[in-house]
Amino acid sequence: MNSSRVDLARKRRFDEVVGIFHKDLYRYAAWLSRDPGIAEVVVQETLMRAWKSLDTLREDEAARQWLLTIVRRENARYFERKSPDMLDIDELTPAQSAMLAEADDPDLEEMRQAIMRLENDYREPLVLQVLMGYSTKEIAELMGINPGAVLTRLHRARLRLKKSIDEATAA
Amino acid sequence: MPQTNMMQCDDYREHIAADPSESFDAGVDHATDCVACSNFRDEIRALDERIAAALSIAVPALHLPEFPSIDTAGPGSIVDLHTRRPTSRLRLPAWIGIAATLAAVGFLATRLLAPELVAPSIADQVIAHMDYEQSSRQVTSVAVPEQALGRVIDDNVATMETGRELVSYAMSCVINGKTVPHLVIQGANGPVTLILMAEEQIDSAIPLSGSNVHGIIVPVGSGSIAIIGERPGQLDEIDEIAKRLVETVTWKT
Repeated sequence: MNSSRVDLARKRRFDEVVGIFHKDLYRYAAWLSRDPGIAEVVVQETLMRAWKSLDTLREDEAARQWLLTIVRRENARYFERKSPDMLDIDELTPAQSAMLAEADDPDLEEMRQAIMRLENDYREPLVLQVLMGYSTKEIAELMGINPGAVLTRLHRARLRLKKSIDEATAA
Repeated sequence: MPQTNMMQCDDYREHIAADPSESFDAGVDHATDCVACSNFRDEIRALDERIAAALSIAVPALHLPEFPSIDTAGPGSIVDLHTRRPTSRLRLPAWIGIAATLAAVGFLATRLLAPELVAPSIADQVIAHMDYEQSSRQVTSVAVPEQALGRVIDDNVATMETGRELVSYAMSCVINGKTVPHLVIQGANGPVTLILMAEEQIDSAIPLSGSNVHGIIVPVGSGSIAIIGERPGQLDEIDEIAKRLVETVTWKT
């Protein structure tokens, strides 16, 4: 089989098992990095890596977990020399502000700000559970922590968001 | 409320805030008996709906990177990926955004001032897409899996009879800003490309002639279909396929 045919077959499989998760990859990357610009870079790197190592994906059913793991690793690599935990909502980049305000809905923007303020450890399991529909066990496997820790983080994340929203409403 | 029940309530609330689906043991039973916890659960679920809406940010169009041919992507490429410094690319989206905005403003201004100078014809766009996806036109005996074919066609077309030919390529592609099914069938005289454009209405058939492709765009109801081969000898076959598709394709939209 010549190289163009190999590429064609590969492209077909790539589209079937990777392309369909594009939205999940981008949203996960955007909430991990809290920056849509960085998310695009991370997703591009993820797609490139997935393309090169597609043969290592034995079962198509495992594609999403495999891809999210790559996103997580690429995001971590991006921030290797940075400390992304602190975020000043008053000093957002234009891209971050656009991400918060894109819905033109004050309630939604308020919630997005509250989610952005959460520490990574709390924000990530929340994204995986609410957005990706992951079980506690799947989150634990992806994040490399035990299920009890996942539940604690999810519980705290929601209580913090509830407190933020309640305070904003009261104000 | 007795102390033991308070503990149960605390425990329930901790669980429900971690898992609003209430899939944990004894959760449903407790909420049934405890109005306060039932109310708390409803609050958390309402909060979760807002969280889900907030997390569902808009996703930009997928731009696939230039994938290297896998035969040339050895282990060195993987290492390069690891060691690539992304910092210089951090500012790319901002510049791209500015450039895209300027391009969009320029495009709109030009379009308003001289609409006849812009907007390449649908024929030009189809020919350009054919140039871009040359690798789709392979002579092969390997068919696209039914599931993949159904997924591509189902996006835009309700029914379609491809005939007895083998469908060797099926991909959702973007032409004129719309996602359309791009198929390749193995004809008697070589691969024939079909592009099903549900939203491209044309008044009459448009001949297509590029440097290496020949074909036609035929009107089908409120849309049109491009049928393209690579050899002049395929024109009779293209005519036959066109007649069949005009009769068998039904648009969903």
